Amino acid sequence: MKTRNSGDLWSGLALAALGLYIIVQAWQWEYLSPEGPGAGFFPLWYGIAMLALSAALVVSSQRGRSAGEKPVDWKRVGRAFSTWFALAVSIALFKPLGFVLSFALLTYFIVAVMYRRPLKTAALVAVASAGGFFLVFQLALDVPLPLGVLGF
Amino acid sequence: MKLLLNSIALLAFLCAPPSFAQSYKPARTVDLVVHTGPGGGSDVLARAIAVMVEKEKLLPVRLQVVNKPGGNGAVAAAHLAEKRGDPNTLGLFTGVWLQTPLVSVEAKVTLRDLTPIARLVLEPAVIAVKADSPFKTLGDFIEAAKKNPGRLKQSGGSNTSRDNVVRQLLQKSTGARWAFISFPGGGERIAALLGGHVDMMVIEPEEAGEHIRAGTMRVLAQVSAKRLAKFPDVPTLREAGFDVPVVPQVRGVVAPPGIPKENVEFWQDLFLKLTRTPSWQKYIADNQFEDGYQNAADLTKFYEEFTGRMREIFKDAGVTIVR
Amino acid sequence: MEIISGLLNGFAVALEPANLMWCFVGVFLGTVVGILPGLGPPATIAMLLPLTFKMNPAGAIIMLAGIYYGAKYGGSTTSILMNVPGESASVVTCIDGYQMARKGRAGAALGIAAIASFIAGTVGVLGLMLVAPPVAKLALSFSSPEYFALMSLGLALVVLLAGRSIVKALLAALFGLWIASMGTDPFSTTSRFTFGQMEMLSGIDFIVVAIGVFALGEVLANMETHEETQLLPVPKGLKNLLPTLQDLKDCRFAFLNGSVVGFLVGALPGGGSTIASFLSYGLEKAVSRRREEFGTGVIEGVAAPEGANNSETGGALVPLLTLGIPGSGTTAILLAALVLWGFKPGPLFIPENPALFWGLVASMYVGNVILLVLNLPLVPLFAQVLRLPAYVLYPLILGVSLVGVYSVSGSLFDLGLLAAFGLLGYLMRKLDYPTAPLILGLALGAGMERALRQSLMMSGGELSILVARPISAVMLSLAVLVLLVPVFGKLNAWRLRALEG
Repeated sequence: MKTRNSGDLWSGLALAALGLYIIVQAWQWEYLSPEGPGAGFFPLWYGIAMLALSAALVVSSQRGRSAGEKPVDWKRVGRAFSTWFALAVSIALFKPLGFVLSFALLTYFIVAVMYRRPLKTAALVAVASAGGFFLVFQLALDVPLPLGVLGF
Repeated sequence: MKLLLNSIALLAFLCAPPSFAQSYKPARTVDLVVHTGPGGGSDVLARAIAVMVEKEKLLPVRLQVVNKPGGNGAVAAAHLAEKRGDPNTLGLFTGVWLQTPLVSVEAKVTLRDLTPIARLVLEPAVIAVKADSPFKTLGDFIEAAKKNPGRLKQSGGSNTSRDNVVRQLLQKSTGARWAFISFPGGGERIAALLGGHVDMMVIEPEEAGEHIRAGTMRVLAQVSAKRLAKFPDVPTLREAGFDVPVVPQVRGVVAPPGIPKENVEFWQDLFLKLTRTPSWQKYIADNQFEDGYQNAADLTKFYEEFTGRMREIFKDAGVTIVR
Repeated sequence: MEIISGLLNGFAVALEPANLMWCFVGVFLGTVVGILPGLGPPATIAMLLPLTFKMNPAGAIIMLAGIYYGAKYGGSTTSILMNVPGESASVVTCIDGYQMARKGRAGAALGIAAIASFIAGTVGVLGLMLVAPPVAKLALSFSSPEYFALMSLGLALVVLLAGRSIVKALLAALFGLWIASMGTDPFSTTSRFTFGQMEMLSGIDFIVVAIGVFALGEVLANMETHEETQLLPVPKGLKNLLPTLQDLKDCRFAFLNGSVVGFLVGALPGGGSTIASFLSYGLEKAVSRRREEFGTGVIEGVAAPEGANNSETGGALVPLLTLGIPGSGTTAILLAALVLWGFKPGPLFIPENPALFWGLVASMYVGNVILLVLNLPLVPLFAQVLRLPAYVLYPLILGVSLVGVYSVSGSLFDLGLLAAFGLLGYLMRKLDYPTAPLILGLALGAGMERALRQSLMMSGGELSILVARPISAVMLSLAVLVLLVPVFGKLNAWRLRALEG
């Protein structure tokens, strides 16, 4: 028996909003110009399709029993999000600190905090992998890595 | 007293600043920034320049090509703007660098924000048709286009590319109308012509060369001020009776803003020397470029005139001008 | 007759010690470059160009070509082991390849990738040798309506890639279409969905989205738990370290499929290895008896796209060498290289340079053999990467993704996009949206829109051009049929239920 799915509900609403946004933007561009379809032609149609399909999704998400829906394990989601956040911060630090330092910090975070390994292991893995990337890519292969203020 | 005066004179002599013209020489690798990826037009030219500079021993250090693709040239231009004051970075600009800021709000860096060094080449083009096309002259094509407005087709790049600019100018001056079909890659444009899906295209003479030799393509006219050496029998636009300005595809060198005068002079000097070397002359002849050398002052004038003209042409073509 | 004599002369050239060495260098470098995500043949070839001036032209082109098709061999490695596409063309390999690794069959997947690459690569060279001129002519008859039909066929495969929810698959594909249209519209020079950022003017790089959604999304999903239960089972026993005879039997059609589809799509000036691998995968899924299992780790799902992206190199050389028209990024550089060495690629290239052409063809046979010999023994070695504990492997995957993307454009903005798409990939997994349709929509979206607009410009606004031309009519009908396959399946299911109840 089908159960309600709030994931579908929220994602469906989000995609419907996106579809609406696309349609509004596409409206501002030329639909048909004397030379052929304009910039707004394609986006308008896939925007409409997105709106229609996401509406269908929202509707179907509300059908079925309301009991029996698996609850979200927010702890697990939180772990994934914190990792992502650490990644985003690490990338933001590339300009000032450079790849090697930022990536080492990220690795340290993942090993020590996410995987709860002893701090020494974390430091070792962080230094080894960051250093490894630097040696293999920047030095040996001449593939540029983001360089920070300190020059590496 | 004499000793004091002599000491002062000696001191003054020792403290005199060295002659600037000799003083600046790059101490580390110089970056030449291009807006295409490896293999693109600017990239190829930049690499050729690097090779020639090394061959003719014009620089004590290496000239290195740096690819900064993206943003239709805006990323490369912005990169140069960011390198304010850095004398070891140069950019190889093309018409795209001049045009993108006119039509895209997001592209904020124009040539006015950078330091012009030199204009190097002008790239002419030819108007080509498939070998078995019924058109023998450009006049034939224009007549046919007048009789059937919008039915004939031209393949080309984006609608701000030189291909379309030529079309806009010809359409305006003759009253004929024909369709323009954008293809992102040069290969696809040629394939469209050879496959008979379009009737005509504007193409670089080098690209067309082999097809002409093999007999699959024919040239109706050339888009250049005077006849190219390899096309002695093909009329220029003007000779064919079409009074339209020749809009060239340009390539030249710029530097970041805020670099000292001595650096500007050094680079100007270097590229002037480059264009006088035999390697350069040979390269230009082989690739059928026009020697369009202009120094920085003339380049600045050219830039203003070029962008002014482009604004007019784009407006006629229905493109929104933002700057 | 002249083909045989040409080929024999070609082998004489290719087997000269110097050229043989360059062949080895090329394919080896290509494999390494293919393994590293991001860094691709175009950039590598461009970096090596100055060195080639001192070499003889035959050796140089043999080496550069070796890099080109060698990279296709290496590209599957990180795709299978880490869900990180090594190359745009290897994206499709991730779909079933990574799932096979998760089931402990990484070795078999890597092995079949090498074998399929060898077979299809060789077929591609055969095609180049035997049928280049007629294929080139056929390719020229292909234009925008045919491209549109071909891509519609590809997009119809979304339905086949759907899995459980067709609605969600379609939504993912539409999202991909949206990403594809971001940037400057070349026809009207209008900025679309650029959010005021100049880096967005040329759109978002395909590989950024692919690595973000596939690799980063996967890593984030795995971060949910810190237990290291069965991370990625290390293949045990020879059975899982290499493909079995049964595997080879299962892939019979996939080998054929990959070879032919890849070669033909490669020969189209607008075609590319990404489209070729998607089409091949879709075709394989359509005809397979176990099509529902695709996406869970089916070996044909690895063999078909891997073969396709290899024979595509042979195909892409057809327009380059017979007409002087480059079909892809790498062939554009090869064209520039040929010009720099003083050659003039065009319709007269092969007749005027038979030694170079046949030398190249012969070297490609040799190169494919070298690659097979090189790659197969490395398979068990690569599979050992999975022995690494999760807390080492996942940061490694993150690092490889970051470096890979940065090596393509040198842009921190792209790294930011990578992170954003990583988050998207994670959300899609949580919300049960299939990721493959998004990638497919992105890969085809720009091309489809362009082809449609070009077609309408060609016909002066008449949509009928799409069905008036025979080739595009046929392909569009196929697309419709493909769309109807699941509908028939559902109708049949309803019918059976009605009969029961």
